Amino acid sequence: MTSIEQRRASRRQLLKGAGAIAAAGLVGAPAISRAQTGAIKIGVPTILSGRVAILGQSSVGALKMSFDKVNAEGGINGRKIEMVVRDSKGAPQEAAKVTRDLINNDGCQIIIDAEASSAAFAVQEVIREVGVLCIHTNSETSSLTADPKLYVPTAFRTARQGIHDAIGGGDYAAKVAKAKGLKKWATCSPDYAYGRSNTAEFMEYAKHFDGNITVVEETWPKLFQPDYTEVVTKLLNAKADAMYSALWGGDLVAFIDQANLYALFEKQASFMVNLGDYGVVDQVKQFPQGVYSGGRYNRTVPPTPENEAWYLEYVKTQKSKPTNWSWENAVGAQFLIEALKKTNGDTNGKKLAEAIKGAKIKTPFGDGGTITMRAEDNTTINYIIGYGLSLSKEPYISDFKTSPWEPILELEKQWKKKQGYAT
Amino acid sequence: MTSRWRDLGLAGLGLVLLLLVPVFGAPPAIRDFIMFGMAYGLLAMSLNLLIGYTGLVSFGHAMFFAAGAYAFGLAMQSGKFSIPGAFVLAIGFTALMALIVGAICVRLNEIYFAFLTLAFQMLFYNIILGWVSFTGGDQGLMGGIPRPKFLGIDLADRTQLYVFCSVAFVVCIAILRQIVTSPFGYTLRMIRDNQERAAFLGINVIMVKLACFVMSACIAAVGGILLTLFVSGAYPNFGFWTTSGEAIFMILLGGSNVFLGPLVGTVILRLLNDITVTYTSHTELVLGIVILILVLGLRKGPLDLLAERWENRRQAKAQAVRDAADKDAQTGRDA
Amino acid sequence: MDLDALLRCVGTTSCVVTQLTSGMIIGMLLFLIASGVTLIFGVLNVINFAHGSLYMIGAYAAWTFYQLTGSYFVSALGAAVAVGVLGVLFERVLMSKVYGSNVLMQLLVCYAVVLISDDLIKIIWGPVPLSMGMPPEFRLPPVRFMGGVIPPFYIFMILAAMAIGLLLWLVIGRTRFGSIVRAAAINGPMVSALGIRVNLYYAAVFGIGSALAGAAGALAAPVRSLTPGMGFSILIESFIVTVIGGMGSIVGAFAASIIIGLTRSFGSIGFPLFVDGVMFLIMALVLIFKPSGLFGRAHR
Repeated sequence: MTSIEQRRASRRQLLKGAGAIAAAGLVGAPAISRAQTGAIKIGVPTILSGRVAILGQSSVGALKMSFDKVNAEGGINGRKIEMVVRDSKGAPQEAAKVTRDLINNDGCQIIIDAEASSAAFAVQEVIREVGVLCIHTNSETSSLTADPKLYVPTAFRTARQGIHDAIGGGDYAAKVAKAKGLKKWATCSPDYAYGRSNTAEFMEYAKHFDGNITVVEETWPKLFQPDYTEVVTKLLNAKADAMYSALWGGDLVAFIDQANLYALFEKQASFMVNLGDYGVVDQVKQFPQGVYSGGRYNRTVPPTPENEAWYLEYVKTQKSKPTNWSWENAVGAQFLIEALKKTNGDTNGKKLAEAIKGAKIKTPFGDGGTITMRAEDNTTINYIIGYGLSLSKEPYISDFKTSPWEPILELEKQWKKKQGYAT
Repeated sequence: MTSRWRDLGLAGLGLVLLLLVPVFGAPPAIRDFIMFGMAYGLLAMSLNLLIGYTGLVSFGHAMFFAAGAYAFGLAMQSGKFSIPGAFVLAIGFTALMALIVGAICVRLNEIYFAFLTLAFQMLFYNIILGWVSFTGGDQGLMGGIPRPKFLGIDLADRTQLYVFCSVAFVVCIAILRQIVTSPFGYTLRMIRDNQERAAFLGINVIMVKLACFVMSACIAAVGGILLTLFVSGAYPNFGFWTTSGEAIFMILLGGSNVFLGPLVGTVILRLLNDITVTYTSHTELVLGIVILILVLGLRKGPLDLLAERWENRRQAKAQAVRDAADKDAQTGRDA
Repeated sequence: MDLDALLRCVGTTSCVVTQLTSGMIIGMLLFLIASGVTLIFGVLNVINFAHGSLYMIGAYAAWTFYQLTGSYFVSALGAAVAVGVLGVLFERVLMSKVYGSNVLMQLLVCYAVVLISDDLIKIIWGPVPLSMGMPPEFRLPPVRFMGGVIPPFYIFMILAAMAIGLLLWLVIGRTRFGSIVRAAAINGPMVSALGIRVNLYYAAVFGIGSALAGAAGALAAPVRSLTPGMGFSILIESFIVTVIGGMGSIVGAFAASIIIGLTRSFGSIGFPLFVDGVMFLIMALVLIFKPSGLFGRAHR
């Protein structure tokens, strides 16, 4: 409770100035665009209400931590970075409106889009029109950057990309499957674009690495479905050796609780890409054995002092544990800060895009300590991907295996060709 | 029929005022606010033709909003249509859909009508979600809506888009006004007030309701098209029941008995939304409390309340005049 | 569509038993919620759009009581009572103020309450989804019955829901309280004229309906994740049940809950992608052919 109070108070300060301008704008005063002097204003459309408010909260937490640090060190060329956060409630049309308002009304020169996927696509269209710099920090849907039809020169992504996770995860799953003889697979993923493409890609690469794998059952619960009983019994009837699930957040917690009642996890090996997050893994009270979880964010992955320091600082300043969304936003903020330093604080979309394209940053979340913004499609590579065995207590994950990036990049190329995204 | 010319004059004046907004260099955010408001305003205004004028409480009106948006967006993305062509196509598609849904729904009364429209809306919503290859499922229509030039108009230009939306909006409002002031509009009110009596007078109640249902759906479709042009995409939640609910709140916040009430409600709700979003992350809490205050404090839409006051005063004045006249007559007779 | 799979399932007892029980599990929880909606509508002629929020508050209250007491039964009872009291307050302070006016005004009040309670939940319990976890007394291996699998907790849940439903039916059908309530449902002013303080009965009915939602929340808490907004999806389903069964009919709600539960459990095998669509289709068909619902009386 206290954490929320404090967070709210600090956010309110941030919003005050922005709010005054917005209110002025509403009654007809022209928006003030302070070109290259004064604070650098960054607009952040995100979700702060409803069922996935945690997404917005943990995104904003990481951004705030990053920008506070820069500001404490004197800002960019003496200019402070100011963040204006808006709740779009996750609705795409609201996200588009809010993003336009942030730019036109609040005078934000840069957008960090901390929306989930479908709203991210709406924000992308606004950016196409307006041409400011935008970093998508939460949308994992591959097509956002992979599909050349959707390409916008000033838009970047610092989130995981579904296809990378799928290749890395498929590789890991195939190794386990070969060792343990897991041939018949079932899937249980949320019935929407992310769940469907993520699951199809994961199974495709699992089969690619182990030809003995067949999918015998697919279940598609609805997003935010409260009751998974019929899904669990269907999985029981399938009598598979292993299961893959792309469920996430509260849905995943409920699914595990309900599947436990049927002892589902004792009958099969389970691979759950989104189980590793704090807020999920530490909510599961009765933890199944032999469950493999994908790397989301964990303080011990990678087991470096830099990562531990970042985790401790986050917990100290934000009064909650970071999530997968937190590191993705921290990386987005860092790319932006380093680009701003290169342009000497010039917020011109084209100039910033030039500075970010192909850039490489040192970060605790990179495989080998760095993450690169790939120039050809404006998305990050070399972040940490992998799987491990889930535990019910700290550190919640063990035997974490980091997936090597060369095969991922190689297979991604082929995948792009097959999708018609590249020639 | 002088009132008809007066209404058209007022519509023209409204259009001129709307068009003056960009001329006076209002910031783009104000134009955005107005365009967004016009899209939702048409949704609320058209729904009020059902709720306020005909007494048909529809919980499913957003399905036509979404139908217009999707039909238009898909037609444009196919690359085979010009903007006016897709516009007409979208309205035609929505009209057909409304004809089928309406033919089934309007036979039911009150709460059952409400629930049946809700059911159809959710069916439609499920189709949009499920038919991924055609509608894009939950991702909506991605990649932007192409806007080829037509008749020298370029809707990719934000100012021209604003002008286009304003014209479409004012035309729709004028049509609605013509409907409610026509004999047909009075038939609607008669049905609302007493269905049996209307039937007794030889009115085919079902057919009149159906006609009203289709017309209002078409206007809602225009709202959907405007929103699609604004956000350059169409999304399933355009047709979710919460959007219908929002339209009902807009009507209630403004007032259902005054012609422009729903429009005022739209502005109130959008302003509330924009202001709460700006100042607090607890948008739900603030919006909820404001609604409670409005409902429990006023018990009516603010415009309804004003109209009632106005009417009371007018009657009081008329009464006073009559009293005075009576007195004059009295004194005259005395003298 | 995978009708082959459905046929194969219907052909084996183990699958039928498992799916039948899972249909009952889904249905009975739904019944508890829908019976509250239908009771309140039948007596007060009010559609309580805030019912999902009461369910949510019930689940969160049970979670907190469980943290405090460690006893699941105490916390379930506590949650039901707490939400019942909240329901009475809601009726007296807010809903009773808009009885006379437009139905849409009632809707608006409910909507406001939904918004406020979602945000308050977030402020009090945080946005992270919570899980109560299975109480130790139910951490048992699933029961095998004719080849099917049934978790013990679900047996308890089904029995508890049925018992509450039966109790409700007896109270409304067999007691003096119930007969006054039924009379008030048909003609409130008349009952009032007989010197009975009908407002108290209205409040009591609202409280009972709310307590049912609270109990449903408490029964759901060990197996469903608690998030702000969790009442949302359950609300629409409980309306479907209410409409199919007949607005105001508790027996109807019972039958319709089972229909919806079985549609879900068998539908997930036969037509997994259109389960929701089929539920709305059933509702539409009922409304078209028998608008008053399967067990409802004609609309007043």
